[in-house]
Amino acid sequence: MKILFIEDDAIETMKLQRTVAKLPVKPAIVEAKNGEEALHILKSGDDLPDVILLDLNMPKMSGIEFLTVLKADDVLKYLPTVILTTSENRADLLECYRIGIAGYVIKPLKYEDYESKIQKVLAYWSINEVVKG
Amino acid sequence: MDNKEVTLLKKALERQKKARFQAEKILEKKSKELYDATHHLKEVNDRLENLLSEKTSELDGVFINIVDPYVVMDLQFNVIKMNGSAKEFLGYDSEKESLNLSSLVHPDYMEYTAESIQTLITVGTLKNYRAKIILKDAEEKFIQINSSLIYDKNGKPIAAQGIIRDITQETEIKHLLAEQKKELNIIVENSPMGIVLTIGGKIIKTNKAFTELLGYSEAEFKTLNVKDISLPEDMDASKELMDQMNSGKLDHFSLVKRYIRKDGTSLWAKNSVSAVKNAKGEIEYQVAMIEDITKQKLLEKQKEQLLKELENSNKGLQEYAHIVSHDLKSPLRSISALASWIQEDYKDILDEAGNKNLQLMQEKIGSMDSLIHGILEYSTANSSALDNTEVDLNQVIKEIRESIFIPDHVQLVIPQALPKILCDKIKIHQLFQNIISNAVVHIDKKKGLVEVLSQENNTNWQFTIKDNGVGIPKKYHKKIFEIFQSIGESERSTGIGLSIVKKIVDRYGGEVWVESEPGMGTEFHFTLDKKSCSVQQEIE
Repeated sequence: MKILFIEDDAIETMKLQRTVAKLPVKPAIVEAKNGEEALHILKSGDDLPDVILLDLNMPKMSGIEFLTVLKADDVLKYLPTVILTTSENRADLLECYRIGIAGYVIKPLKYEDYESKIQKVLAYWSINEVVKG
Repeated sequence: MDNKEVTLLKKALERQKKARFQAEKILEKKSKELYDATHHLKEVNDRLENLLSEKTSELDGVFINIVDPYVVMDLQFNVIKMNGSAKEFLGYDSEKESLNLSSLVHPDYMEYTAESIQTLITVGTLKNYRAKIILKDAEEKFIQINSSLIYDKNGKPIAAQGIIRDITQETEIKHLLAEQKKELNIIVENSPMGIVLTIGGKIIKTNKAFTELLGYSEAEFKTLNVKDISLPEDMDASKELMDQMNSGKLDHFSLVKRYIRKDGTSLWAKNSVSAVKNAKGEIEYQVAMIEDITKQKLLEKQKEQLLKELENSNKGLQEYAHIVSHDLKSPLRSISALASWIQEDYKDILDEAGNKNLQLMQEKIGSMDSLIHGILEYSTANSSALDNTEVDLNQVIKEIRESIFIPDHVQLVIPQALPKILCDKIKIHQLFQNIISNAVVHIDKKKGLVEVLSQENNTNWQFTIKDNGVGIPKKYHKKIFEIFQSIGESERSTGIGLSIVKKIVDRYGGEVWVESEPGMGTEFHFTLDKKSCSVQQEIE
């Protein structure tokens, strides 16, 4: 399984890497620091990811802006995108579902809780069939 | 006598004879002419006399047959002749008693009468003399006289004749009308509302209020059309209504539109337009009552503006709160993760004190996180608009039961089904959750019980959350609703929860209070005003 992880915070990236490292079957993780970089990766011609994990608050291009661009693309719109954020803003939640997301996960305070949430998300997507363009 | 002399004499005689003959001839001719002329004159005279007598009898006939009172008087006002109608009208008969017309004139009209007579004598005729007279029976009448002079053969005026018309009724009606018109004018002119009379858009009459409102004089208005004093963008709406009125579909309509003043500025006005119809049902005029509502409009606009600004600032504030909370929460999550990793990765190296310190660090991070969460909630409780829908409170409690930590020994029960009320689901959830989550964790009894009760009053809903917990000392009953006032022992108590409760209850026009006996339990009561629990209550 290939994951595109869009996140600007280094420690958040460490958190994901650490979580994934403990898994028996390790998915491939492609990192992008912001929406622009992520789009660049997606358009590079490499294999598309199975799922995108997206943070909302990022510099340059925000998560919602990225999502809007993604869903407007005829090929990329099929990529399941799960939001991973600390924002409990209901307006953000509604807007994301309106544009089209596959899930909305709020980052818990404790690392153990984070680990358990991420493991579930990855387990779920690993058993799913995806379109991939 | 000589011959010559005789001849001369003879010749003279001859001349004399001839001259005499000629003179006789001329005389004869002149006599004939004279005779002819006399004869002719006689004939003419005869004809004239006939004509005169004809005319006189004709006149006599007219005189008798005149329906209106007819009087002939001398220049001292003594009546010479009057017809039947005049006798009947005036009550006098000049054939039986002498009558001087000046004695009939009402004292108020003496001067006017004298002037009128002067006019009659100078001009020869007098038209439309109007005066009040007193009849024989003392009744007063308004009369109108058209009169002319009668002259003798030398062209000297000797008498006057006149036809009298009784205009009493006419005058009284006119007076009445004038009086009514005056009264009506007083009303119209003193009306604080502008009043305009139009015919098919043409301005016929305006009152003082309207001239003052727009700055045009009444005379200027008469040259104007309604269109000239209206804004083009308002014309469509008023034209449509006017068309409906003209086609008879409407007798009356109201319209808010602008008018342009003479100085070019405009004003907002409320117009009440009515059709004035004649007996045949055709529209004669449109009458419009105009009220200047510029000030109201301005206030309305200001209010709208303020509301918009308030809405924007609320929205901004909420967004700001979310961003701040996000930016504070993110590093907390990082610190928490790093602390966990140190504990995990170096558990062999760390001694008990080091482990303990990392544990304390996690706890502090936890309380800081709930503080941030609380502040965010508190700010949203205040700023976001109430989105009222029908909410089943039983469902709300069920959701709360599933989402909060309830110790095993505590039971959360609803003894009697709660109502469905119109309210903002998220806020009502926050409200109940903050009280209930407080209640469930402060129970020291073996079997904890938290009950949610409701009661419908006339003007509000009253709810009670009753527990058998530790209770709250009386001195804190007010303080607990203030922000950052925590009385709990728990490190994680932020002192925000109950201030959110108070805030939400305030927004629903209700009250919150607490009854408690330490050791026995606590009852939290709050009310929600029914008026606030309605769908209209969208914007605060």
